[in-house]
Amino acid sequence: MSPIAIEADSPPQSRTFMRRFAGAPLPWIMPVIVVIGIFYLYPVIDVFRLSFTNATLIGDNQDYTLGSITNALSSPQLPDILWATLIFVGGSVIGQQILGLAVAVVVIRGEKRGLFGTTILRTTALVAWVVPGIAGGIIWQMLFSEAPYGALNSILRLMHMPTVAWLSDPAIAPWSTLISNIWRGTAFSMVVMYAALKSIDPSLYEAAEVDGATASQQFFFVTLPQLRAAILVNMILITIQTVNTFDAIITLTGGGPGRATEVISLYVFNIVFRNYDLSGGSVLSVLMLIISLGLAFIYASFLPKEEEQ
Amino acid sequence: MKSATVSAFALSTMLFSASVSFAQELATKDRIGLADAPKSLVVRLTNDSPNNSDPAIAEGYQKLFVDFIKKHPDWKLQLQFMSSDIGTEQAKMLEQAKAGNAPDCAAVDSFVLSQFMVNNVLADFTSYFSKEEVDDLFPFIRSGITDKDQKVRAWWWDTDLRVLYRNKSIVADAPQTWDDLKKAALASTKEGMEGVLFNGGRWEGTTFDWLANYWALGGKLVDDSGKPVFGEGENKEKFLKALNYFKDLVDSGAAPKRVSTIANYDDMNAAAAAATTALFIGGNWQYAQLKATLDEDEFNNWTFSPIPGPSADQRSTGTGGWTIASFSKDKDKIEMRANLAREVYMGPANALQQQLPTRKSLFDKYEVFSTEANKTFAAALVDGQARPGVPIYPEISNQIQIMMGDVLSGTKKPEDALNAAFNAALEAYKRL
Repeated sequence: MSPIAIEADSPPQSRTFMRRFAGAPLPWIMPVIVVIGIFYLYPVIDVFRLSFTNATLIGDNQDYTLGSITNALSSPQLPDILWATLIFVGGSVIGQQILGLAVAVVVIRGEKRGLFGTTILRTTALVAWVVPGIAGGIIWQMLFSEAPYGALNSILRLMHMPTVAWLSDPAIAPWSTLISNIWRGTAFSMVVMYAALKSIDPSLYEAAEVDGATASQQFFFVTLPQLRAAILVNMILITIQTVNTFDAIITLTGGGPGRATEVISLYVFNIVFRNYDLSGGSVLSVLMLIISLGLAFIYASFLPKEEEQ
Repeated sequence: MKSATVSAFALSTMLFSASVSFAQELATKDRIGLADAPKSLVVRLTNDSPNNSDPAIAEGYQKLFVDFIKKHPDWKLQLQFMSSDIGTEQAKMLEQAKAGNAPDCAAVDSFVLSQFMVNNVLADFTSYFSKEEVDDLFPFIRSGITDKDQKVRAWWWDTDLRVLYRNKSIVADAPQTWDDLKKAALASTKEGMEGVLFNGGRWEGTTFDWLANYWALGGKLVDDSGKPVFGEGENKEKFLKALNYFKDLVDSGAAPKRVSTIANYDDMNAAAAAATTALFIGGNWQYAQLKATLDEDEFNNWTFSPIPGPSADQRSTGTGGWTIASFSKDKDKIEMRANLAREVYMGPANALQQQLPTRKSLFDKYEVFSTEANKTFAAALVDGQARPGVPIYPEISNQIQIMMGDVLSGTKKPEDALNAAFNAALEAYKRL
């Protein structure tokens, strides 16, 4: 049926409505604006508002003050928390990016050669991604358990190697949480890298081969430059995701021993739900937002411009 | 004859279907009572409910609830269940109550009850329980549910306590003092054991289990106004003494360093099942769990005794438990909630889960509490001490957990860790 026929069949009232708003986008995007406003924008605005108050979870009165901001930002714990967050986020982003790219390259090469097991490899990596954070924490808690029957230490004992204080040593525990988070997030990077690798024009590799480029030269001078945009977008996404991660840590270490693995998202959770300090938690939530946005802008500034593409 | 048989069969089928259908209507996953019952009570519960992970206990609760609703046929209970993240659940519920969106009634953890009281979100319960029922409560329970105006604001139906479990085949005599425990634990390590296990990770159990040692010395966490005082004067000395005791257990090898990663009582059960430990500090409910987990011969090796004190006559143990409270101010609903507390939880649920009652008379009423083990647990309640019902307690607990991790892992000296915890608690107190 042609568009003219549709118009002819439509009732007159509907036609008038369609004509009136045909050139106006606002009525069409209004539902989206309302949903985003209610469920996304309002909570963000309220967090900003609360950060300028002294609101607590158990008090009724709240006054507007800058005291919560100065208190939260001058807290003696904050530098340690930010350092733990930097290690966790930086290590996770680098680890997930490198491992995700490595798995994607292996899968692509395996597919090209028609090797058995590439689908299994891809699926296995994805399993870690679909496991909920809390479940992932429990899995790694069993693996890192320092009890005589702990999984990883039992393997080390079988190999006559010294055991490791995976979770009880404050110097090692942050690396243990890092390993568990890299395990969990690698699949996401793999999916992004896999899609990006698939989109590289094969003629570039053919030309490189004609020029006599080795496999590593092809990787560094063809693959990586072609992946630049995908790598940066992936880094933005996994940075934001990792800054907000706390479910896996709360199960694995609870932030301990001491504060060795207490990242900023877990710190905010503790401040709001243990200390009932709503305004302090809001200030730190805004700080998290600034950190995430700041890093995203830095990454985005390295994205290839339109003319480069 | 044939038609009579067919008719009888049809009738019995109809009756059977009707009874099955009736039973199904009375108990669904999230409702107890008929769907079209004119009155409704929204109840938010923990796993002390038909949502229990143990099918036998879940079934037992379902029966208790159905029997209860049969006595109140005009009502239906709309059930909501909490996750195991109790601290967060309770904090969220407090926010909901303040905003007027809380369920009609709910399970409130005894140690956060005061937060609900100071916010005036709990209905007055005083007239729904007799003086005899209230007087029958253990004193620490009675004071826990009563507000500053002497009104009963919730019904605390179960309690628990911490004890020292030991494998008799390895540690024959119950350690009476801190020194005894250290010696026994060190001796057990020579037989391939890990030494004594206790909670030392980042969770409430770490604070609560350790506090027994501090309380045994007579230490106080807060003063009468609710202000933290554990880091000053005599309290500071006692605090450091109790803290150094745990540090010494780890430093001497009487406890493994991994205690700073233990944040779950199940870890102790696992160690007992794997026969890697002969001593651990746990809750009274673990006795039934050990019985269910271990072979009979292995279980017979296990017993328990009061937590050792600095000296044999200085004893304390932490006692907790759950309350049922009403957020609705509707009189009918408050009464129904009181009925629920009395007819389901106060007694029957204690017996079902072998959770210690809060009333002395109930120990005699139910046979399950006549076992030697439960009698001993009941007797040990004499030394029981509840967490202070003050709004700052969750943050004090959080700071003690951090402090314990720092001290046991050797990151900070005990006094530095205590000072940091005390200052942080005072700062938090000022902001409340």
